[in-house]
Amino acid sequence: MKKSAVNHIISLILNTCMILFSLTCIYPIIWILSSSLKVKREFNADIISLPENPTLINFQKIITNPDYHILASLGNSFLTTSISVFFIALFGFIVGYLLARVRFRGNKMIGILLLMGMLIPIHSLLVPIYVVFNRTGLSNHWYTLIFPYIAFGLPIAVFLVQGYVKEISIELEEAAAIDGCGFSRTMFQIIMPICRPVMIAIAIIEAFNCWNEFPFALVLLKDARLHTVPLAMTQFTGQFSSDYPQIMAAMLITMAPIVILYFAFNKLIIKGMVAGAVKG
Amino acid sequence: MGSRKPKAAIIVAYLFVPMALYVFSVFIPLLTSVFYSFFEWKGGPNKTFVGLENYIMLLYDKEFWQAFQHNIYLVVLCVIGQVGIAFVLVMVMNSKGTKFKDMHRTFGFFPSTISHVAIGFIWTMIYDSRRGLLNWCLTAVGLGDKTQVWLNNPKLVMTLVAIPLIWQYIGYYMLILLSATSSIDNQILESAELDGVNGFQKAVYIVMPMIKNTILICLVLCVAGNMKVFDNIFVMTKGGPGNASMVTALYGYIVSFKQQNMGYGSAISVGIFVLGILLVGSIQLLVKLFSKEGIGNEEKCC
Repeated sequence: MKKSAVNHIISLILNTCMILFSLTCIYPIIWILSSSLKVKREFNADIISLPENPTLINFQKIITNPDYHILASLGNSFLTTSISVFFIALFGFIVGYLLARVRFRGNKMIGILLLMGMLIPIHSLLVPIYVVFNRTGLSNHWYTLIFPYIAFGLPIAVFLVQGYVKEISIELEEAAAIDGCGFSRTMFQIIMPICRPVMIAIAIIEAFNCWNEFPFALVLLKDARLHTVPLAMTQFTGQFSSDYPQIMAAMLITMAPIVILYFAFNKLIIKGMVAGAVKG
Repeated sequence: MGSRKPKAAIIVAYLFVPMALYVFSVFIPLLTSVFYSFFEWKGGPNKTFVGLENYIMLLYDKEFWQAFQHNIYLVVLCVIGQVGIAFVLVMVMNSKGTKFKDMHRTFGFFPSTISHVAIGFIWTMIYDSRRGLLNWCLTAVGLGDKTQVWLNNPKLVMTLVAIPLIWQYIGYYMLILLSATSSIDNQILESAELDGVNGFQKAVYIVMPMIKNTILICLVLCVAGNMKVFDNIFVMTKGGPGNASMVTALYGYIVSFKQQNMGYGSAISVGIFVLGILLVGSIQLLVKLFSKEGIGNEEKCC
């Protein structure tokens, strides 16, 4: 019937739009991947074609170049991110649970303090953090960035945990109390496992945020050996600005952990984001 | 219940480390920033108290306000581009015939996980005049005479810089809006279709009012995020050519760290903070005003 034919055509157009959209989201990465397998001459000749003799020489040059601490920067980012995420999740849970369940003086004030932290544009803090950290000798160490990363990730974590904990039936904790379970034990052994979905969501969001963070790394780390991944990337354009495949290889190395993490866990990540969005 | 509440000492013990960290890394710097903004200070040991002079200088600083204009331009483009396009895509995703939804969600969200620095580099390469994808595409469709050194064009550079931002976050907002629309009762939509409502009317008069809160959150996130734009532009143009793509956060950085003018730089930071709060506040006010009119409409049509 006529109407269903029109519907089919509309469906076709809509599907094509979505597919085009998804393609444009993915294509730049594919372009970089295929280009990084070419040598400079082949790339300059034809930037779109698939590599005829795929070669890993670009990757080799980047990794073995003594001026570029690519592997070191991957290590630095990994260390900083994992420690920061661990503490953001842990502290977020503790503070969130306390704020949600326990009435104590200062409960509201701490909540407001954390909320304000979400509104402050962190670039306003670049200068003073630079000064404060320099004065206290905290800059330019392997652990420097962990402090601000935890501090900036805390408000969101607390917010998400609070919302989640409020939905847990309080009878669970009451039953635990009757059974003689102390406060700390209840919090860690009973409630924390229940909060696993929101903790995973927090861990994922903050892992991406910490790994990709740039301005504070730029300002607080002087030593090239301490650089995190985004900082190390800014070094490439200087020397190799005409050798695109090489730059692309470098970028791929630095993006690899994120890409692998994302596509391996993408169902989990999207579920976590949705949970966060609905609560937020 | 009373026996469950922990002693005050335990509460303090649990809260002490995270809150101390937070205050040290966020609040002390914020207060220090305000403090320094009242001084003229070039980064060395000499500080001279100048009162409100930095702020008066800020009010007359053409470069700052030009940068702010650029931020506003970005905000407008991104609200339309990120949230607007995301909303349209969500309506498309929700219509009956659409396939491969999981793939679209996964691919769409992917760019927002990449660091802004990487995105900046990727698009710098796309815009490159000799080896970039953009010029290649133009030549391929026969518009070879339109090719140019894109990022050197002061008129276009702000728009060119906005495109990666839009591209990166469409999928992000699409995901948020998708989860919001998934909670809309299907029966409402189906009965509207039986009444003969077409796609556009469905979107504007039914879906939008029902996910009002989520749209507000998206707008606030979008505005707040665009006031903070730094990494992309730093990597792509450093604010150039000249000041054509300067934004407030980048300007603050250059004044503080490149020109070593830290007192004034602090005043700029406070200025950005205040402007950001004003913007977010006015967006919330605007949406409240609009939604009052919207409520009137619903009553009329039902």
